Amino acid sequence: MARVKDDLAVVGKNWARLDGIDKVSGRSIFADDVRLPGMLFGKVVRSPYAHARILNIDTSAAEAVPGVKAVVTPEDAKDIWIGINQPLLPAEKVNHVGQEVVAIAAISEAAATEAAALVKVEYERLPALLDVEKALADNAAQLHAKAEHNIGWKQEDVHGDPDAVFAACEFVREDRYVTHPTHNCYAEYHVCVADFTKPGKLKMWTPTQTALLFQQSLAAGFKLPASDVRLLTLNSGGGFTGRTSTRPHHFLAAMLSRKSGRPVRLRASGDEEFIMCRAGGKVIYKLRSGADKDGRLKVIEADLLFDTGAYVESQMIVTLLTSKYIHALYPLEASRYRGRLVHTNNLPYYFHHGGGIAQFQFALGQHIDGLARDIGMDPVDFNLLNAVEEGHTTMEGAHYASCGLKECIEKTASLAGWKDKYGKLPKYKGIGIGIGAMASGAKGLFKHDTSAAFVKVTDDGKASLFVGLPDMGQSSHTAMAIICAEVLGITPNDINVISGDTDSDPLDVGAFTQRGTFNTGNATRNAALDARNQLAKTAAALLEADEATLVFRDHKVYPQGAEDQAIPFKKVVYQTLHSREGRFVMGRGFYNSPLEKGTMAYSFGAQIAEVTVDPGTGVVTVHKITAAHDVGRAINPRIVEGQIDGQIFSGMSQVLYEETILEDGQVMNPSRIDYKMPRAFEMPEVEHIIVETIDPNGPFGAKEVGEGPIVCTMQAIANAVTHAIGNQVTEMPLSPWRVIKAIK
Amino acid sequence: MSKQLITLTVNGDAYEVAVEPQQTLLEVLRDTLNMTGTKRGCTAGSCGVCTVNGERGQAILSCMALAVEWDGRSLTTVEGVADGNELHPVQQAFLEFGAVQCGFCTPGLIMSAKALLDVNTDPTDADINVAMAGAICRCTGHIKVKKAIREAARVLRAREVSDGAS
Amino acid sequence: MQLPPFEYIRPASLAEGLQLLADRPGDVAVMAGGTDLLLNMKFRLESPKYLLSLNGLTEMQQVEEQPDGSLRIGAGCKLTDLANNPLIRDRYPALHAAIESVGSLHVRNMATIGGNICLETRCWYTNQSETWRETREGCFKTDNQLCHVIKTASKCHALSSTDTGPVLMAMDAVAVVVSADGERRVPMVDFYRDDGIEHTVLKPGEVLAAIVVPPPNGHTVFAKLAQREGLDFAAGTFAAAMTGSSEAPESVRLVMGSIAPEPRLMEDGARILLSEGFTDEAIETVAGAARSALSEVTNLFTPSGYKRRLIRALIKDALLQLRDQAENNNA
Repeated sequence: MARVKDDLAVVGKNWARLDGIDKVSGRSIFADDVRLPGMLFGKVVRSPYAHARILNIDTSAAEAVPGVKAVVTPEDAKDIWIGINQPLLPAEKVNHVGQEVVAIAAISEAAATEAAALVKVEYERLPALLDVEKALADNAAQLHAKAEHNIGWKQEDVHGDPDAVFAACEFVREDRYVTHPTHNCYAEYHVCVADFTKPGKLKMWTPTQTALLFQQSLAAGFKLPASDVRLLTLNSGGGFTGRTSTRPHHFLAAMLSRKSGRPVRLRASGDEEFIMCRAGGKVIYKLRSGADKDGRLKVIEADLLFDTGAYVESQMIVTLLTSKYIHALYPLEASRYRGRLVHTNNLPYYFHHGGGIAQFQFALGQHIDGLARDIGMDPVDFNLLNAVEEGHTTMEGAHYASCGLKECIEKTASLAGWKDKYGKLPKYKGIGIGIGAMASGAKGLFKHDTSAAFVKVTDDGKASLFVGLPDMGQSSHTAMAIICAEVLGITPNDINVISGDTDSDPLDVGAFTQRGTFNTGNATRNAALDARNQLAKTAAALLEADEATLVFRDHKVYPQGAEDQAIPFKKVVYQTLHSREGRFVMGRGFYNSPLEKGTMAYSFGAQIAEVTVDPGTGVVTVHKITAAHDVGRAINPRIVEGQIDGQIFSGMSQVLYEETILEDGQVMNPSRIDYKMPRAFEMPEVEHIIVETIDPNGPFGAKEVGEGPIVCTMQAIANAVTHAIGNQVTEMPLSPWRVIKAIK
Repeated sequence: MSKQLITLTVNGDAYEVAVEPQQTLLEVLRDTLNMTGTKRGCTAGSCGVCTVNGERGQAILSCMALAVEWDGRSLTTVEGVADGNELHPVQQAFLEFGAVQCGFCTPGLIMSAKALLDVNTDPTDADINVAMAGAICRCTGHIKVKKAIREAARVLRAREVSDGAS
Repeated sequence: MQLPPFEYIRPASLAEGLQLLADRPGDVAVMAGGTDLLLNMKFRLESPKYLLSLNGLTEMQQVEEQPDGSLRIGAGCKLTDLANNPLIRDRYPALHAAIESVGSLHVRNMATIGGNICLETRCWYTNQSETWRETREGCFKTDNQLCHVIKTASKCHALSSTDTGPVLMAMDAVAVVVSADGERRVPMVDFYRDDGIEHTVLKPGEVLAAIVVPPPNGHTVFAKLAQREGLDFAAGTFAAAMTGSSEAPESVRLVMGSIAPEPRLMEDGARILLSEGFTDEAIETVAGAARSALSEVTNLFTPSGYKRRLIRALIKDALLQLRDQAENNNA
C-alpha cells in the first residue's frame, strides 16, 4: 500500500477502537438493554391488508386485559403527521400491509400481545395497487389526493442539449434494469424506549444514524421545541441507511408513554422488523448513453422509476443524489434525468446500504460496461479514457479538488492481473470492473449542514471531545479521537468521546450522507486547533518562544527544532487552568461546506471482481475482489479496510442474494434465514489498496469511506458475471434462476 | 402457569430464580438476571446473537432453549469470557484485528468462536466457517472476524506449548 | 417473539413419559431438542397445554452397535454428537453428510436426529407468525379447508424438510416406535405419508425411540440443493444407495426429499438403474425423469422451473458420484 510519507504522529496508524473492550465484553449498552423503573412494553396492531378502509376500531376488549396501561388509536393521533402524506395512525384508510393502526402498552410483553390480539378492527378491503408501472397507468386508482398518476415526487433535469449530442454519437446504447425490494437486516432489531412522563419533555433511547433529524422530527410531531426532545443514542447496532429517519413506532412509543405516565419500550418482533424498516423498493432504470467514434462518452440519459410504496417520507433525497450521480464519474457534454417516486400499496420504502446510489450504479455500471464492449473497448481502457480527474467540475457543479479515480483503476487492474484475464478466461469464469465516486458530506439537503465539536482539556493531560456524530460501528468516534489527538499531540486513548445525548451534543446531522469523516472531522480538527491555540499562549510564555513555532507531539510541547526544551503537555494545561486568571481550555470548532450547495470533496474507487458461474445451478461464486479506494487519507487504515470489507460483503449480498419477496403486498420471507444473506462461507478474498490523494479540504486530507466502496461492488460482480456467461443479468439480485435464464 | 424455582449457574455463579416454563434461557438471562451482554435478535434461532456456551462449551441458541431445561446446569455468557480484567485471546484478537464494528453481534460471534477454540485450537478455514455460519454479522463481512479467530487460535496453541513445557 | 404458556413435564424415563402421553391424549407436544417445536410454538402453529420433554433422557441418547453389525441410534442423540461419532462418520458417510447439512452448528448442538426425522413439513404460508397469517385465510394446516399453494388441492401440500429422512430411507433403516402399549418397528420407507399435516405414521401416544441402521453395505450418497452452505432449508435433496457393481447393481434405492410432503421414492428410476446399470444414458434418463416428476410447487422461495432443472443436475451429479464410489471400491 503506497502511503504518503509525512510526519503525522497519530493519524494513519492502526488504533484499536476506543469502545472495543466494552463491545467484546458485553458491556456496551444498546437500546434493548435499557431498563427503567416501571417500564411498560408496547405492541402495535397492524393492518393485515395492503389497501382497505377502516370502518370501525373497538379496543374495549384490549383495554380490559389486566396490565394494559395505555391504548393509542387514530383518534388520539389525529394531529400528528409524519411525512408529506402520512398520518401517524390512519383515520380512514390503510395503505400497506403492516401499517400501524393501534398501539398498546402493558406491564408485560405477554399482556400487550394478548391485548393486541383482542383489538377488533373492521376493514373494507379495497383493490391494492402493487406494481409500480401499473400504478402510473391512466386508469390506476389514485392513492393520495395530491399525487396524480400516483407520482409522489418528480425530478427532471437537463444539462446541455442531449438530443443534439446523441445525434452526433457514433455509438448509442439503451438498457433497462430492475433492482428488487430489500431489507437492511442489521443485527439489532428496531427498538425504542420512550419516556414522555414529564409533560412537554420527551426522552428517547433508540439506535439512529442521526439524532438531530430524529429530534427535529419528534419535536415537530409533538409540537415541542427541539430542545425539549432528548435523544440518547447509546450504541447503534448497524445503520446501513436504514436508521436515518423516525418511523411510526418512535412516535407511538412516545404517545404510549405520555398516556400511561410510564416509560415504554417498543421492540420489533421477528417479522415485524421487515415492516418497521423496509430498505429499498423496486426500482426500474432506463438508461441510454452515447459515445463518439473514439470511445469518448458524451451523454447519459436516465429515467428512474421508484416504487416508493404507500407513503413518501424523505425519499426524494434519492432523486437528488442520483441525478447528480450521472455526472460523477465521466465528464459529459449533456445529460437528461427523470426520477419519479411512485406510490403503490407496498411498504413505504427507504434505502438499503448504498443509499440508492450503489443500486443505481448496478445499472449504470453494467450499462457503461456494455457500451464499452459495443465500441470494442476493454472496459478498463474505456474507463481510463473517460474517467474524471483532479480539477474537474461536473455539470452539476461538483468540483474535484482531489481525485484518484484513474489511480484506483490502474492499481486494481494491475494487482488483479486484468490484462491477462479479461477476454481470456475459460467459459463461466469472469472478471469485471466497477468504478464509483461518493460525495464526502453534503450541503443543501438538510436544514442544518454544519457539524460542530467541542474539546475540553483537563489538567491530567486528557481531553473530552464532544461530537454529535453517532458511531454505529464505523468507528467514527475513534476517527474523531485520532484527529483530535493529532492536533493536541496526545494519543486517541487520552480522549473521551462524548456523544449520544442531544442535550450535550454539538450540532451535527449525523452519520448520514457520508459526512462523518469530512464534516465532523473538520469540525473536530477546528475545535482541537482552538484548544491548542489557547494552550499555545501558556506554552509560549513558559518556553519564551513564538506561539507559531510550537510543536504539540508525543505529549510534549516544544519550539520547532528544539525538542530538548520540551515541557509536558500536562504541565501546559495545568498552568493554563491554574494560573492567576484560571483560564479554562475549551476548544470549539465547526465546519460547513463554503459552497451554496454541495460538498467540497469526493471519494473515488474501483473494484475488480473475479467470479465463477456454475452453469448447472446458476450459483455465482465470488473468488476475489481487488479494491482500491481514494479516501484522501486513511485516518485509521485498519478501519478503512474494515469498511471496505463490510461494504463488499453488503454489496455482494445485495447483488447476489438479497430480495424481499412480496405477494399481495406482504413480505413472504421476513426472517434471517429466508431473506437470503451470505454468511462466513461465502466471503471472497479481498485485496485492499488505499489510495491517498490528500484532499486539500479534508481533515489531514481525509475523505469519506462510509459508502464509496459499496458503490463499486454490485456492478463489479455483475460485470464479471456478464463476462462469464456472455449476457447481462439485468435484475438484481442475480439469483441463480435469473442467472440461468441469462446464460446464452 | 405456576413458576418453578431453578438453579442456574452462569459464569460460575449459582443463581436461584423463579421461572415460568415458557421463558427462554435468553429471557431469564436478560430480564431476570439483568445480564444484558447476550443480545436479543430474531428470537427464532436464525441469527445467533443470543449464543451462549453450554456446560460442554458448545454453542447454544439461548432464544430456543427453555430455562427450565437448564435447572442444575451451567453455562457461560460473554460476561464470563474474560478472566477478571484479562481478556480472552479471542476477545483480544477481535479488538486488534478490527473484527468489531457496531458490536451488536459481537457477543454472539465471541461465544461461537470460543466454542470452537475450546475444543480445537488449530481449526481449518472450513472449521471456522462451520462454527460461525450460524452467527450473523452485517458490518464486518466476516473477513476480519475469521482473521481474528485464526490469531486467537495461534495464541492459544502457543499457550498450550508453554503450558506443556512448564 | 415469545412462547405461549404451557405446563412442562419432564419424565424420569421414557416409559414414564409414554404413560404420561397416554394419559393426556391430544393435549401434549413431545419435545426433543426443541429447535423446530419451539419455533412453531412461537408462531402459534402449536399451543399445547403440556410440553413433554425427552431432552434429558440419556437412555435415548445412546449409539449402540448391535450383534448383527447394525447400529442402533437413539432418537435423542444431538446431531453434533452424531456427526462427531466415528461409528457414523466413518461407516455411514451419506448419513454423516446429511446430519452435517442440517441448519447450522448452533442448531445441531441442540437438535436431535429423532426431531429431524420427524421434522414438521414447511410452507411459506404457514411457517410465519400468527399476525402474519392473519393477512390470509387459514389453510389445511391451520384451521381451514384450502391450500394457498395449490388452489385445487384437497389436502395439505407443505413440503417435507427432513434431511436425514431420505438417507435413512435409502439405507433401509428401521424406525423403532414406542408407546405405552409397546414397541413396533417401521421400515423408514414406510415411515412417511404424502400429507403435509399427518406426514408420518406415528399415531397419538407414539414416540420415535431409535433408528436402526443396517451394517454398512454397498455405497450411499447424499446431496442437498441450497443456495448457501449453512442454514438454508433445502430446495431439494437426493439420497441414493446401491449394492453390487456399477455395471450390475444388485439393489438400488433412490429418494428425493424436500419436493413433496414426504420424501419420494424414485422406484422407476431405481428399476432403470438395476436393469441397465449406472450407464451415462441410464443416469441421464433417471435425472430427467425426476425433473418432470416434480409438481408445480413454488413454496420455499425457489421458482419451480428452476427447482426442477436443478434437481435434475443434483441427481445426475449424485449418481455419477455413486458410480465413482462403486468403481473405485471394486477396482
